[in-house]
Amino acid sequence: MSISLTVNGSPHQIDADPSTPLLYVLRDDLALNGAKYGCGLGQCGSCTVVVDGEAVLSCMVPVMLLEGREITTIEGLGTIDDPGPLQQAFIELQAAQCGYCIPGMMMSAHALLRRNAQPSDEDIREALATNLCRCGTHMRILAAIRRAGELMKAASLPESDERRAG
Amino acid sequence: MGILKDEITRRSVIAGAGGLVVSFSLSRAFAQAPAPPAPPTTPPAPPASLPGSLDDDRFLDSWIRINPDNSITVFTGKAELGQGIRTALLQVAAEELEVNPTEIEFITADTGRTPNEGFTAGSQSMQNSGTAIRNAAAQVRALLLAEAAKRFGIAPTELRAENKSVLAKDGRSATYGELVSGQTLHVEAQPQSAFKQPGSFRVMGKPLPRVDIPAKVTGQPAYVHDLRLDGMLHARVVRPPSPAAELTEFDQSAADGMPGVVSVVRDGNFLAVVAEKEFQAVNAMRTLAEAARWQERETLPDQTDLPAELQRLEREVGTVAEAGVISSSGKVFEATYTRPYQIHGSIGPSCAVAQMKADGTLDV
Ligand code: FES
Ligand code: FES
Repeated sequence: MSISLTVNGSPHQIDADPSTPLLYVLRDDLALNGAKYGCGLGQCGSCTVVVDGEAVLSCMVPVMLLEGREITTIEGLGTIDDPGPLQQAFIELQAAQCGYCIPGMMMSAHALLRRNAQPSDEDIREALATNLCRCGTHMRILAAIRRAGELMKAASLPESDERRAG
Repeated sequence: MGILKDEITRRSVIAGAGGLVVSFSLSRAFAQAPAPPAPPTTPPAPPASLPGSLDDDRFLDSWIRINPDNSITVFTGKAELGQGIRTALLQVAAEELEVNPTEIEFITADTGRTPNEGFTAGSQSMQNSGTAIRNAAAQVRALLLAEAAKRFGIAPTELRAENKSVLAKDGRSATYGELVSGQTLHVEAQPQSAFKQPGSFRVMGKPLPRVDIPAKVTGQPAYVHDLRLDGMLHARVVRPPSPAAELTEFDQSAADGMPGVVSVVRDGNFLAVVAEKEFQAVNAMRTLAEAARWQERETLPDQTDLPAELQRLEREVGTVAEAGVISSSGKVFEATYTRPYQIHGSIGPSCAVAQMKADGTLDV
């Protein structure tokens, strides 16, 4: 069945079983690497993307529910040559070990920072409670998200990291 | 990630591909290590033990290649798993080769190209691979200096290596690529290397941002999971319910008609399904799992008393440290500490990609 999706601001026509979770469509049909398969069961958060401003576990949402919604993945936050503030902050603070959980962390953080560019550590911990990191990068992740908030404030454009999806 | 037929093929590929390599005698570069020629009657001595993983892959060109175009490739058999070794090993190579880290093409754990260093585990990468790379790099630098000294007709001490060139005090210079071009090297490493002095380090021991992080935070391909080959199929394994469970029965027809299913594979207690698309494989795996019957057996030790179990396995008893004398007047406290037995689980699931090539080789 043909389904139309908007990912990082670009429209796509997907031919997939409507019950297919978004994650597989992003990775296999759209060749986007950002969202990661960790558990496929809604337990780890590595597949987190943002849909209409909310952090969503893409391994759990059937693609048919997403027509007409704005989907953002880390590919929508900037590029390796022109990273957005959240990406810049994670690079600057070296906030990744294996990095496999990080895109999910970043998308949860992205949803948070859109609402609140200066979150407290409490806010960040709460927003990222569903994201697991097995490497133990937690303290750097917290620091990177605080830093991203600063960078966004400095640019005084809280939405500036959502380039194409904004 | 290529697997060629055997080690000999792999070697000949590396040796035959031109590049590095430095064909003059090592004994000239390492004048301090001149083994006197053995009398002809003595049986050949066993090869000297070499530092780190060099001992297993003894040729310098297994680790470092310098190409005629002055590009440099360094190889490690260790994999970057988030420990940062790609960056750390790169620093080691850059330091001893006297080049910028950005000048090195660094190849990690590729069975067709890199030394086989076994598992990447146990905090052994710097110790084994780092040691090998540091020694190989220092020896390659010494060879380059020796070759330049020969060409310029001056002593190696009149020369220095810098930024992929060897420079003489009188202003003459030659690039690494010029010094090795047209030569085939395939020399065994020596047990001793002339390392740089720590005081002169420019890269080692200095912070260098991890080279893999920008790709990982921008969605660039960074993991095996990100490989997408033409016509690639997806497989999922039907996991047994417990270790050593025996697959007694399963209904293949349950999966056969499902969308996208290409085949069901059974090998003893291993059961997997192959499908055109990933989620089709997931669905078929779930269906097959429901239709599979397993005979479970108790094989795990008593989970409520693992410390005792682990002590029964103990292999080595030693003293960590000892200092001073326990005074007989004080109180003596004794305690036994245990901690849970843990093994790392990574968030990224195990994943492999295999491609059968037209020539019958399998890339894994
Ligand atoms: S892959 Fe979606 S929560 Fe783990
Ligand atoms: S960095 Fe490895 S799981 Fe978080």
